[in-house]
Amino acid sequence: MLSVSHLVQPIIVGGVLAFLTANILMNAAVKAMSTTVNGWSTILKCGQPGNGILLRAGCAKILPGTNVAQEAAYWTTVVDGAGRRLNGQHQYVLHFPAGQLPPNDAFWSLAMTDVVGYMVPNPIDRYSVGGRSGLVSNADGSIDINIQRTAPAGHDSNWLPAPAGNFKLMLRAYLPGRAVLDGEYHVPPVMKRH
Amino acid sequence: MNRLILKYAYPITFAILAVLAWVVYREFSVRRSELIPFAVVAGLVWGLGTFVFIYFWPRLTYSAFKRAVQHGLGGDPIPVNTLYAVPKLASPSAPTSSLLATGTDEVLYIGGWLDLSKGPQVLHVPDMAGRYYSVQLTDPSDGTDFAYVGKRCTGTEAGEYLISGPGWKGTVAQGMTLISSLNNSVLVIGRVLVESANDLPTAYRLAKQIQLTPLSH
Repeated sequence: MLSVSHLVQPIIVGGVLAFLTANILMNAAVKAMSTTVNGWSTILKCGQPGNGILLRAGCAKILPGTNVAQEAAYWTTVVDGAGRRLNGQHQYVLHFPAGQLPPNDAFWSLAMTDVVGYMVPNPIDRYSVGGRSGLVSNADGSIDINIQRTAPAGHDSNWLPAPAGNFKLMLRAYLPGRAVLDGEYHVPPVMKRH
Repeated sequence: MNRLILKYAYPITFAILAVLAWVVYREFSVRRSELIPFAVVAGLVWGLGTFVFIYFWPRLTYSAFKRAVQHGLGGDPIPVNTLYAVPKLASPSAPTSSLLATGTDEVLYIGGWLDLSKGPQVLHVPDMAGRYYSVQLTDPSDGTDFAYVGKRCTGTEAGEYLISGPGWKGTVAQGMTLISSLNNSVLVIGRVLVESANDLPTAYRLAKQIQLTPLSH
């Protein structure tokens, strides 16, 4: 005969396994619905009506309270173009060829966060750069964003300060253009400087 | 605390599994005959629990939003059916940074929680003069953004929007637009673009004018 005290342990074991399994399944659902190009991942389905039970749970876990994609598109990456972990010990550049900035009808921005997604302090209190932050174009109309821990020589306006350790980048485009929603626009890879 | 859990999710998970394995091992090195009932109960809870966690995950998440809103986004507690405009841009040092420091520092955020069980609410928005803004209405039971007021959906002119709960029957006054919610609870997230540091006071003045009033009878 099974007594109550005998039930406590298997219920705890089953409950913990259920919690972990639910998390694995939710992460998998989000990953399956995400597209990753050049290290940048994006998901267009969160917040939309008619999502299944698993996807809506995954969205609530990964991007709670997020906009629908028609309002804002988000790309995140924790790796450079070669698939290596982004880390403040290195210097990176994100090169947007002329005319290849994220298409939008409102604004775009590139934000620096820790690996979880929280902003990180830096000496110049700059947590993002973007369409209205005074980025300076190159002669050919392209734009280089310098992602590094210390100020780059001469390119202060294009500097996105990085923390010492691993970090994550988040690119936003508010009122994204058709090319974003159709999946035709791809964010260029973050390149490590040598 | 949340940050640490998220940052060290894998080591924490591994540690929990190690403790569980140790408990189970110790249990059965003593009482081998109980292995089958133990496995059956644990398996049932595992399977059912997985479904329950997934099914209720949006509610769990959004009840945390509700608590955060009621606790206040850096200011006083925000009563139900009122909107609060955060006066400052998100930054790592901002109060209640756990919620806002995951956002962008280019918009002012507005937060609120609706309870429509006692009647509809009227959302008032001022003339934004072309400025980007949005008011997102989210169903906390499944995380669907079921309606937007803002530049994309309704333009930037001043307006009044009647937000009604399920089963409400009434007439919509002239000049108001009806938004029907399937849930009496609604999470409201507003965003008002700040063009530059000099623009912050103007953006904040406009954000504060995005307000709710109960529907007058």
